[in-house]
Amino acid sequence: MKALIKELVEAFGPSGYEEQVAELIRAKAQAVADDIRTDNLGNLIVLKKGTGGGKRVMISAHMDEIGLIVSYIDKKGFARFNPVGGLPISTMTGARVRFANGTVGVIYNEKDGWAGPGSLADCYIDTGATCPEDSPVQIGDVACINRPMEELGPRLTSKAMDDRIGCAVALQALLELPASPNDVYFVFSVQEEVGCRGAMVAAFGIEPDVAVAVDVTSWGDTPQAKPMAIELGKGPAIKVKDGGMLAHSGVKRWMVASAEAAGVPYQLEVLIGGTTDAYTIQTARAGVPTGCLSVPTRYVHSPSEVVDYNDVLNATRLMVQMLANPISW
Amino acid sequence: MDIVGLMRTLSSATGISGYECALAESVRQAFQPFADEFSVDTLGNLIALKRATRPVAGVRRSIMLAGHMDEIGMIVKEVKDGYLRATDVGGIDFRTLLGQEVVVHGVRDLPGVIGARPPHVLAATDYEKPVPWDQFFIDIGLPADQVSELVHVGDLVSLRREFIELAEGHVSGKAFDDRAGVASLAVCLEQLSSLQHSWDVYAIATTQEETGLKGATTAAYGINPDIGIAVDVGFGAQSGVAEHESIRMNAGPAIAIGPNVHPKMQARLMAVGDLNEVPYQKEVIPGASGTDGWAIQVARAGIPTAVLSIPLRYMHTTVETLNVKDIERAGRLMALFISGLDEAFAADLGL
Repeated sequence: MKALIKELVEAFGPSGYEEQVAELIRAKAQAVADDIRTDNLGNLIVLKKGTGGGKRVMISAHMDEIGLIVSYIDKKGFARFNPVGGLPISTMTGARVRFANGTVGVIYNEKDGWAGPGSLADCYIDTGATCPEDSPVQIGDVACINRPMEELGPRLTSKAMDDRIGCAVALQALLELPASPNDVYFVFSVQEEVGCRGAMVAAFGIEPDVAVAVDVTSWGDTPQAKPMAIELGKGPAIKVKDGGMLAHSGVKRWMVASAEAAGVPYQLEVLIGGTTDAYTIQTARAGVPTGCLSVPTRYVHSPSEVVDYNDVLNATRLMVQMLANPISW
Repeated sequence: MDIVGLMRTLSSATGISGYECALAESVRQAFQPFADEFSVDTLGNLIALKRATRPVAGVRRSIMLAGHMDEIGMIVKEVKDGYLRATDVGGIDFRTLLGQEVVVHGVRDLPGVIGARPPHVLAATDYEKPVPWDQFFIDIGLPADQVSELVHVGDLVSLRREFIELAEGHVSGKAFDDRAGVASLAVCLEQLSSLQHSWDVYAIATTQEETGLKGATTAAYGINPDIGIAVDVGFGAQSGVAEHESIRMNAGPAIAIGPNVHPKMQARLMAVGDLNEVPYQKEVIPGASGTDGWAIQVARAGIPTAVLSIPLRYMHTTVETLNVKDIERAGRLMALFISGLDEAFAADLGL
């Protein structure tokens, strides 16, 4: 599964510009899917039909990543930019970015090259251009952080683990899923980082009986982490609450029972800030019982997000167990 | 209706946002004598339907009344060394937590207390600072190994507070926000049983209002009513809250005026109050009302909505205080309003 993860996390796909990721997933899902379509917002929706009598399930993993967008190019060719999603200012100095056409740029700030910029207004992208006319990027062009995946012992680090790791779990579960009574709609959603907007319309369109988002969550096992009962390597997390939603108590019970049936270690998650696609799925139409399967991830939104490979494998096993059997709670 | 008794029952029950299931049963019993049909939707909203009692010719119309049954509470985020650390569900004022009694809803319900450092060991500067969230702990008096067996991350913690009667119709307790609204729906249904009405009435005890108006969002979509009224609590006049930011206690429900409210709904409610001598007051809400009405208004293609506020002091504490006469007046005002609903009003609203 590492090769799949590498391909996904290194792909280009800031919010609103997820096509390259969608193409990658479509090519791999094709062989096992009963239907694949792209909706009006760009969500890639892969249907794996059941044998009948089961539930209509929506799984949502977001394809988009945080990034930036060029807002102005000055007379010496330096590009100014705005964030797309929650871009942490502290990680900007010296970062490299990549545009859809492959152009690479370097970010620097001259306010304080040592301590870091006070705001994004202090930063610029150096693409090697010397004037607007020879700039390889234009106003409105979007970039992602440029950072390859590396292995840290049992762990993996890269940009865009949030949420390509969820895409990898959902895609792998789709590939491994045996015949089941459930119709499963694997949604690879867009625009999560700017307000969970893809999942909102996908849920309206699909009208699922039950839904589960797959996303990263925060961590509590580094030297000065805020107290949080989540550690890497202790298994995927079953969400109880986050900053945007309360998981449906029945869905939570179903997830816990599935983990115990499959012998998969799990952690219960109460996240103080942040939310996932589950936030908007839950209130689609007349309401959807919704939960979230989380992969514990350190340094979320930095260029070097870290996950534990075993947690990823266990998250996949848990998802297969959840979907392969009749669903009740 | 014994409103004091109903408030005692509703306030004493537990129903933190997302976990209103057991409480819904108490509400069902309160609505039971006056409703024709009950249902519970996907998000747990309790929906009581009272069908039109006048013959319906042509379009069948409906009104949705929403009072949220969920209350703010806490959820365990860490179990460590026999103590529990928690975070809030809904907006708890954590300055009010020190020294509170709680119930921890673990493997079984466990009594607990929120401890505080003795004042004797505090530095002078500690007195001026609220205790930050991550320094709160809950003590249930058991040894650490038993605590870890009985309580897990994600378990709920509710605040414990005995309901009391103060003087002259005032009562005090927890979760009046918005069990007072729910009680007013019961009053409305009861009053309607001695009035005739041409529209179906959906009285809904909604869920998850405190965590983002979620129950009302999905209920309004599911029911698709012609019009809606949300009843919630408003800031009753109290020490420390400016007169222009509050409404008067024991002066009737406040009818909201502002962008969340359809002007013709608001005008009709006032006219009904004037005609029937039901005391009411006006409350200007210049933006988001923060009530279920905010969600109902934009459900589907839009729903003409009104918002009523029952005056309440000390909101989001365990000593919320109100006058039961204001609950009765809110219920009666809605019943009289509903009784007068007809096709002329529907046409006036452009329905």
